[in-house]
Amino acid sequence: MSEAAVHVADLRKTFDVPEREAGLRAATKSLVRRKTKEVRAVDGITFDIAPGEIVGFLGPNGAGKTTTLKMLSGLLYTTSGKARVLGHVPSKREREFLRRISLVMGNRNQLQWDLPALDSFELNRSIYQIPRDDFLATRDELIELLEIGDLVRKPVRQLSLGERMKVEIVGSLLHRPQVLFLDEPTIGLDVTMQKRIREFVAAYRERHGATVMLTSHYMADVEALCERVIVIHHGRILFDGDLAALASTVAAWKTIAVALENGAGDLSAYGEVIHRDGDLVTLRVPKADTARLTARLLAEQEVLDLNVEDPPIEDVIELVFAREIEE
Amino acid sequence: MSMYGTMRAELVGAGGVVERNAYLTRRYIWWDLAWFAWTVANTLTIVFIAKGIEATGGSLNVNETMTTLLIGAVVWAYLGILFMFLMETVSWERWEGTIEYTFMAPLSRAMHLAGQGVFAILYGLVRATFLFVVCAFVFFDLSMPNADYFAAFVVLVVSSISFIGIGVMMSVLPLISPEKGPQLGFVAQGTLLVVSGVYYPVEVLPQWMQWIATISPATYALDGIREAILEGQGLTAMWDEIWPLLIIGAVSIPLGLWIFSRGEQYAKKHGKLKRSG
Repeated sequence: MSEAAVHVADLRKTFDVPEREAGLRAATKSLVRRKTKEVRAVDGITFDIAPGEIVGFLGPNGAGKTTTLKMLSGLLYTTSGKARVLGHVPSKREREFLRRISLVMGNRNQLQWDLPALDSFELNRSIYQIPRDDFLATRDELIELLEIGDLVRKPVRQLSLGERMKVEIVGSLLHRPQVLFLDEPTIGLDVTMQKRIREFVAAYRERHGATVMLTSHYMADVEALCERVIVIHHGRILFDGDLAALASTVAAWKTIAVALENGAGDLSAYGEVIHRDGDLVTLRVPKADTARLTARLLAEQEVLDLNVEDPPIEDVIELVFAREIEE
Repeated sequence: MSMYGTMRAELVGAGGVVERNAYLTRRYIWWDLAWFAWTVANTLTIVFIAKGIEATGGSLNVNETMTTLLIGAVVWAYLGILFMFLMETVSWERWEGTIEYTFMAPLSRAMHLAGQGVFAILYGLVRATFLFVVCAFVFFDLSMPNADYFAAFVVLVVSSISFIGIGVMMSVLPLISPEKGPQLGFVAQGTLLVVSGVYYPVEVLPQWMQWIATISPATYALDGIREAILEGQGLTAMWDEIWPLLIIGAVSIPLGLWIFSRGEQYAKKHGKLKRSG
């Protein structure tokens, strides 16, 4: 097996966060005696990502996703543990490492707001030492893929959020990174733009064999791009495996969406009715009974349409978090 | 990559930083003119002091005093520009939200800061020259028959090396304190000039301040420029000012880079390398 593109072993990051009670008295007191609280942003995570793999890194706000990505990009020092990206220790800032990675953050920008994106692309060409011919070829290829030919000459501040994200992505990929850390790349974008970005990421990975680590709160991103997901909460990994296996491992039920010829009657005898929309009823049934109940429905009812599905990924992940709280 | 290749890559990267600053300056060129007008006004308030003293019965060589004050004001403004650009290495990027990307770029910090510093010097020299010409000849018609402008210009350029070193030390402050760090640049600028005889001879200062003046590059810059402009001393007679500037520069640049690297390590350890601090 080839060396992992990303190797993380027992990685930890703690911050000392100042805290105090409200009020002038507490504020004055904190001048001489400052209290801090240790926050474990990342608490001993371990995983490997193979070259060319695309992995969804999921978790609620404050779970430790961005902290992990920043440690892997060399923007944050680790407290302990091991992190290697393409065989490099990120915090060492080795030129060969920095030239082969990129971090795209949906709520940050690398392009100067006041300048047209083309000017910032030129800066990246200088810094990343991209030969002019390669630079022009990659730049034009990316511009064409994302259809932003008319946007790159305007100051970035005049672009919409979605347009800005597209030019940001071009800026991040000009040096053709082999490892791509995408932190909420579709945040705040409309559905069409999200789909466009997803298609682009898939196409880029296909063309260049890049390794991608993606965080997103939009499950559509994850479902469309990732076969494997790592679920993190409170800095710890709760699940690491196939996206399909996540549902079957965690959720003990499936859903049956059924439309009947004679309208929706009482179907509670077949399972828990969780949704009703006109003639369409969605039932939650125990996973082990799915086949038997489906057969019963087909035999006993005049079924127009029937669909058996795993529960929505959002529900599954919520369940993972709920289990952690119970434990 | 060979040493030559690495060096070339670093220089090209630093050139990119200079180029980006040029684009940004071009973007705000009209605002820069407005700001230049303010600098002229500020300089005039200082130079007029000499006329004021004469008008209220004081006895002094008005032309010489005005020139002395003007040189102090121009150096003050020049130092302000250098420090501003270096402080912006962090604070402007933080404001723009680009700081993480800049610090993730494959460019050594030394060359990143060199790019900032070189542009600051180029821009500062142009601005200082205009400021001097506008105030000396447009507003006051000052007489400087013996002035050696070339020697004055060289002293200012040589002193810039030391100023950049100190500016790099200061530029770490916004990295440590995003909210209050940038203001401390002004404190450093003021402190440096107050002990260096910006509008008066160093000899009038208390002894302990005079001692500090001996290690301030601004002292030698002001002395050298005044000798060149007022007394017409050429470069060959200026060695007493130039060698301390070179020594202070040789110490302050590596010291500044070391302090900055410590600040960067602190920021990466404590998670301060982000837009909101």
